Amino acid sequence: MPFLVRIAFRNLLEHKAKSLIIGILLALGVVILVVGNSFMDTAAKGVKDTFIGNYTGDLFIAAKTKTSVSLFGVASPGGREETPSLPFYDKVVAHLKADPAVADITSQVTGFALVSPKDSSDQGFAMLFGIDPATYYRLFQNTKVIEGRLLEPGEEGLVLSRNQVENYAKNAGFKPKVGEQLILTGMNKGGFKIRSVPLVGIIAFNTESEATDFISYADVNTVRILSGLTLGADEDNPVSQEAKALLAAGEDSLFGGESVVAPGALKASAPGPGPAASLAPPRSGPDSGAWHFAMARLKKPGEAPKVAASLNAWFAKEGIDAQASGWKEAAGPFAASIDVVRIVFDVAIAIVAVVAVIIMMNTLVISVIERTGEIGTMRALGAQKSFVRRMFLVETLTIAAIFGVVGVILAFASIGGLDAMHIRATNPFLKILFAGETLHPAVDPASVIWSLVLVAAVAVAAHLYPVAIALKVEPIRAMQVE
Amino acid sequence: MVIVELRDVRKVYPLGKVEVEAVKGVSFCIEKGDFISIAGPSGSGKTTILNMIGCVDRPTAGLVRIGDRQTKDLGDKELTTLRHETLGFIFQSFNLIPVLSVFENIEFPLLLGKQRMHAKEKKEWIDYLVEEVGLSDWRRHKPTELSGGQRQRVAIARALAGKPAIVLADEPTANLDSGTGEQILELMKKINREMQTTFIFSTHDAKIVELADHVIRLRDGLVIENLRNGADASGLCAEGGTRAAASAAGA
Repeated sequence: MPFLVRIAFRNLLEHKAKSLIIGILLALGVVILVVGNSFMDTAAKGVKDTFIGNYTGDLFIAAKTKTSVSLFGVASPGGREETPSLPFYDKVVAHLKADPAVADITSQVTGFALVSPKDSSDQGFAMLFGIDPATYYRLFQNTKVIEGRLLEPGEEGLVLSRNQVENYAKNAGFKPKVGEQLILTGMNKGGFKIRSVPLVGIIAFNTESEATDFISYADVNTVRILSGLTLGADEDNPVSQEAKALLAAGEDSLFGGESVVAPGALKASAPGPGPAASLAPPRSGPDSGAWHFAMARLKKPGEAPKVAASLNAWFAKEGIDAQASGWKEAAGPFAASIDVVRIVFDVAIAIVAVVAVIIMMNTLVISVIERTGEIGTMRALGAQKSFVRRMFLVETLTIAAIFGVVGVILAFASIGGLDAMHIRATNPFLKILFAGETLHPAVDPASVIWSLVLVAAVAVAAHLYPVAIALKVEPIRAMQVE
Repeated sequence: MVIVELRDVRKVYPLGKVEVEAVKGVSFCIEKGDFISIAGPSGSGKTTILNMIGCVDRPTAGLVRIGDRQTKDLGDKELTTLRHETLGFIFQSFNLIPVLSVFENIEFPLLLGKQRMHAKEKKEWIDYLVEEVGLSDWRRHKPTELSGGQRQRVAIARALAGKPAIVLADEPTANLDSGTGEQILELMKKINREMQTTFIFSTHDAKIVELADHVIRLRDGLVIENLRNGADASGLCAEGGTRAAASAAGA
């Protein structure tokens, strides 16, 4: 064993109380870091897997916007900015299909609506994902049917989540039933849009969380109309005079009548394939109408940043005002919430680290003062200042290594214990943090190494001032030892 | 051959707002291989002079020469190297490193500096020193497990480990009973004869002074007597200093 390490070990044993104070701080630091990072990583991985697997795919393509755009629309301070449709959709999709890295694609329109039963003023909110069932369910098998069924290709209808139905029953005063005709009211720059659609099914998400509770699915044409997307995006399918008259109608006249909207009337006027397309043969991809987003599954998910960069270069070259990004941008506020939690955790760790450095520094200063005679003797015998510096560094790193390993063992035991306890998330924040209903923390080896490095860095930082004091000890101190 | 030269050395310590002159212009020379006692009562400047010879303190004025090097020209790093290569220390309070065994304490100076002894050679040399100071059965013991006399023996062996030209001992028997003190001095004398190592020790004990072949007596920071083998040695500097300077110039 190298001489300095031997001295370090012996000194740590000789000064047990101080070694323990510093060691416990270091071990505690490792436990907090490893367990905390495990929480963070579990949450981040859970959200990532949930979104990639169920909602965003590996690649998310949207129109360029001034503010950030996610699967849930454009982030605008007042919530009034409408999400633009993806420009040159056909060209973009054709390019994606031709890319050998892309395994499959689907598209989506995101809209918002108030849901109410026919002949009732009770209303509940819904975020609507307008999808092409054929391609969407091929990419995302994210739900299980509780009642009814999923949307068929070309079918007009609505699928609500179980939690959403329960939410309506609890807060909006109505409980939608499968087969029931529901009124969807959307609002956009063009005014109110109203559609009457049947509730086709009630589903439960495979991974239920706050992120998915309010998501409902509808056929794309319904969502296009509610979002006002078809008017601007598909001029080949002008809205009929009948529909325009309906849209221009006053609120009282819309809600006052027994039969608000004749489903057939809108069916007939709905642009795009709509109900008429239900008779058409199944397509290999989404229709060529207006879409907000395209999502792609890659053959190698790890290549997402590379493929996104290549796509963005192509957009620039072709003058297409679109942007490709990964799941994080697509997940929007939900990915950001994990980042916020991590920032809060990192700030807390930084504060704890500063406190630990101060405590350790004081303890080490006392140790140096106690060893002044010893340091002076070493200097008198011919030890250079660099030797004294190395000696303290080795002692610091030795204690960091020993108690770092102790910390890792304790952290693994804690994580194992927490995993075995099956702790349930009791509020939305915990659901995000746990990445689901139950806490199942996992340890990333890189995070363990990072924690050890960080703790060693804290220990080294804490030893700098005491070492500066040690280096000021003159060899003459050896002569003054009593 | 003169190995140590002090010429008109003065040392002033600030003590609050006043200055205390511990050494008031001391000059003497020491021949290589001598067994020298710097004697005098408490406060006479013995330890201050020893500190300056040991390169752990610098004179306020005057010149200290160790071998062919003037200490005032040297920085901390060079002084440390000079101490390591030329000087050995025996302290009044032994100053052993508490966490190291007898063997490791003696080994310590050999682990410093750039030139390292081969492992086998080093072990044999330390074994020899351990045997020489009579601690063969105590080599694995820690300092706290030894008596005062044994600790000072370890300190002597440690001082000799680097094969220094000069060993400095500041009141080496002060913390020992008289019997043990005599044994320690006899050991130092024996090593002085066998290895031709120059021993410079400070003491206020008249009995111990008798063992030295060169005695420098101090009082109030001044040399009052400088006798080598009973004869006045104040002229040694002119003769030896010239020799040392000539030798250094030749080198």
